[in-house]
Amino acid sequence: MGNASSSGSRGHNDESVDYGSLVPQGVYTGPRDWNHAIVSQLIIARRLAPFYRPLEEFESGWDDDQILAARKEPSTSTESTDHTSRSELVHTISSKSSHSKRSVPSRDQLRPEAAVYRGAVECPICFLYYPPNINHSRCCDQAICTECFVQIKRNEPTTTHLVSEPAACPYCVQDNFGVVYRPPHWRAGIGSDGSTPSWPEPPRESAQPPTHKRRQHSYSVDSPEVVTTDQIRPDWEAKLAAVRAAVARRANRRIIMRQVGDRLIPVGVSSGRVHALDSGEAGAEAAEGGGGSRRRRRGGANSHIEHLMSIPGQDLEEIMLMEAMRLSLIEHEEHQRKEADERRKREAAAAAAAAAEGGASNEGGPAGGPTPQPAAVASSTLATPPSNSSTIPASSQVSLAPVSASPASAVSGQSQSNESDTGQQQQSKPPFNSQSRPSPPSNSHSESLNGSESVSTSLNQRVTSNRPPPPFSALNAALASASTAAAILGPPLPRQSQETATTTTTTIPTSTVGNAHMTPSTSALDTNGNNDEQDQPPALPPKSTPTATTNTSSSSLNPRDASERHLEELSYGPLPSSPESAADGVVNEPLLAAIKKKDGGNAGDASLNEVERSASGESGQSQDGPTPNE
Amino acid sequence: MASIAARRLAKELKEIQTEGCPVGINLVKADNFELWWFTIEVMGESQYKGEVYTLQFRFDGQYPISSPAVQFVVTEGRQAPIHPHVYSNGHICASILGNEWSPVLSVTAVCVTLQSMLASCKKKERPIDNDRYVRNAPDNPKKTQFHYDGKCCPALIAYSIMTDMGSAITDDTV
Repeated sequence: MGNASSSGSRGHNDESVDYGSLVPQGVYTGPRDWNHAIVSQLIIARRLAPFYRPLEEFESGWDDDQILAARKEPSTSTESTDHTSRSELVHTISSKSSHSKRSVPSRDQLRPEAAVYRGAVECPICFLYYPPNINHSRCCDQAICTECFVQIKRNEPTTTHLVSEPAACPYCVQDNFGVVYRPPHWRAGIGSDGSTPSWPEPPRESAQPPTHKRRQHSYSVDSPEVVTTDQIRPDWEAKLAAVRAAVARRANRRIIMRQVGDRLIPVGVSSGRVHALDSGEAGAEAAEGGGGSRRRRRGGANSHIEHLMSIPGQDLEEIMLMEAMRLSLIEHEEHQRKEADERRKREAAAAAAAAAEGGASNEGGPAGGPTPQPAAVASSTLATPPSNSSTIPASSQVSLAPVSASPASAVSGQSQSNESDTGQQQQSKPPFNSQSRPSPPSNSHSESLNGSESVSTSLNQRVTSNRPPPPFSALNAALASASTAAAILGPPLPRQSQETATTTTTTIPTSTVGNAHMTPSTSALDTNGNNDEQDQPPALPPKSTPTATTNTSSSSLNPRDASERHLEELSYGPLPSSPESAADGVVNEPLLAAIKKKDGGNAGDASLNEVERSASGESGQSQDGPTPNE
Repeated sequence: MASIAARRLAKELKEIQTEGCPVGINLVKADNFELWWFTIEVMGESQYKGEVYTLQFRFDGQYPISSPAVQFVVTEGRQAPIHPHVYSNGHICASILGNEWSPVLSVTAVCVTLQSMLASCKKKERPIDNDRYVRNAPDNPKKTQFHYDGKCCPALIAYSIMTDMGSAITDDTV
């Protein structure tokens, strides 16, 4: 401008105002995120103090040389030069008096520059000294240098803190921080009339430069003298709007979960901006249901991703999230598939083993394999009536506590199987398999029942026709075996089995589990005692347990079928009696004696099976807990 | 370190060394402009009579525009005072350390404020969400967004993520 030559001769750039600069002097090294054009305009308009080179220290008695020596070297905006200038500064300050060569071209010209620092005031924030024409807070009239003022801003809105309050005064915490600047009575640099200032007033060496008279009133935010922090960062509204939009988008976004068994699988994410599934499509999928929907949905998610990709500006984050979910789902499905395969393999192996054993037992003699089975049918016939109500077994269980001696030995059949024939081994296995409900048990039974074809076919038909969809057979098997074992075994085991039951699934009604093992555990005490007395006898009754449990577990699934079966099974009633009763009659006499008094006749077997049935019936009910989810 | 923080801290330190700390506050160490330790003791009758705690200040390059990270030291056998606004990991829920920080405040001003916070305590107890917070707390308390509503309830960014998940709708079409 007019006095470009004079300022140039002083080593300043052209843009100086009243011996200060339009650009910051490197006090702060952070991002300069204010609007530079606006700040420059405000400085030129004398509404904001220029960026003066601050003094590190100031004593009122200093002469010009000392002042200039304490003056912070101007720094360019790059940080590296800022560092060097600082170390230089430290050096010059420590040596204080002597000063650099280039800053002292001529004493005359130095004067005004030094003179402006007369009566320098310390900025309470950066602790540096500035010429007395400094900004003051509009509210509480506290000094603040321009360097510090431009640092103060609204808190950046974040996604968790969506409001953006205007910056508060650092001194009095009043909202809408703003400053008022009273320029000196003289002008130099930009905006001066071109005449060299020649310090008509500024030096005012003797009298203190116009010490800032404390204001009596504060300025309101909107008074024209006030410069607010928002004014030099006019983009704050846009920033806030941007963050709010992002949050709104995220809030609208929904993670779409699909329940698979007891797991929730994220299958997609809706975007707040675009409709992930338009209502029509979603409705169609909901209506569709079944296994097909998953595949369709996955395809939908895929195409949705492609859809998203094609939208410019769509959150990459959203896309990535969706992809992660898709992979998670695929992984889960794969896992399920693998589990199913393994299960099938296991079952096939079990069936094969059972078949082999069944054949062996058949060779061994008619009494080994086939006979126990009919016995079971007969007993289950007796047991069938109570199967309609689940409450009965519990009571019968209590009353028949002593009888449970035999089931207990069934589980401990491993040791017995060493002594006894293969037929027992075969029987000791099924309890596990048969409770898993899916096809394998039926196979193993039918195989083992080769001896009496009529029975095997009827069983086959029954089981196959009634077979429910077995998606969770592994889980159910675990549950059933757990609760059955709990019902059968002695005190230490029930606890264990209960643990397994609860870890397998949390949805088991605890009361059922409790019921299933509470009563037997007390009875098991007697049982054990009895067992000790008679090693062999209980071996036979257990043989009936597999079929009994199979019957009841399937009947518990489908009560209507139970009655049909009841009719069907009646015809085979007499078959079991011969070997079973013989064995019982001989060996189990003392044990059954007590029961016979009560129930009479065949009560021993019936009650035994009732215990079994009730146990498995309970477990059947507990299986019903998680299964409806399918 | 940024010039402003070092320069200002140098001046604060000089003032502390020449004029001393306020009563009950003592400088333990200030070997650099990044980490300072003070001991703090409540004078007079209070819940914390006779107890001495250690305050740690961590400064970044934007001090004093950005607040220091202030917490009680809970290592080397030191413990955080039991106070409804002081977590057992030493983090402090105080507005002047968060959204009410002002660059005009100094290190000693913070010490005095926290001293009076302890002095005004009527019942020694941990914040209600102490366990939950301490479990997930970031190392730097400045990364925690405390809610200064009288009750301590820091809203961690991690929490907000969980909330996002929590609001997810389940779409079970099976």
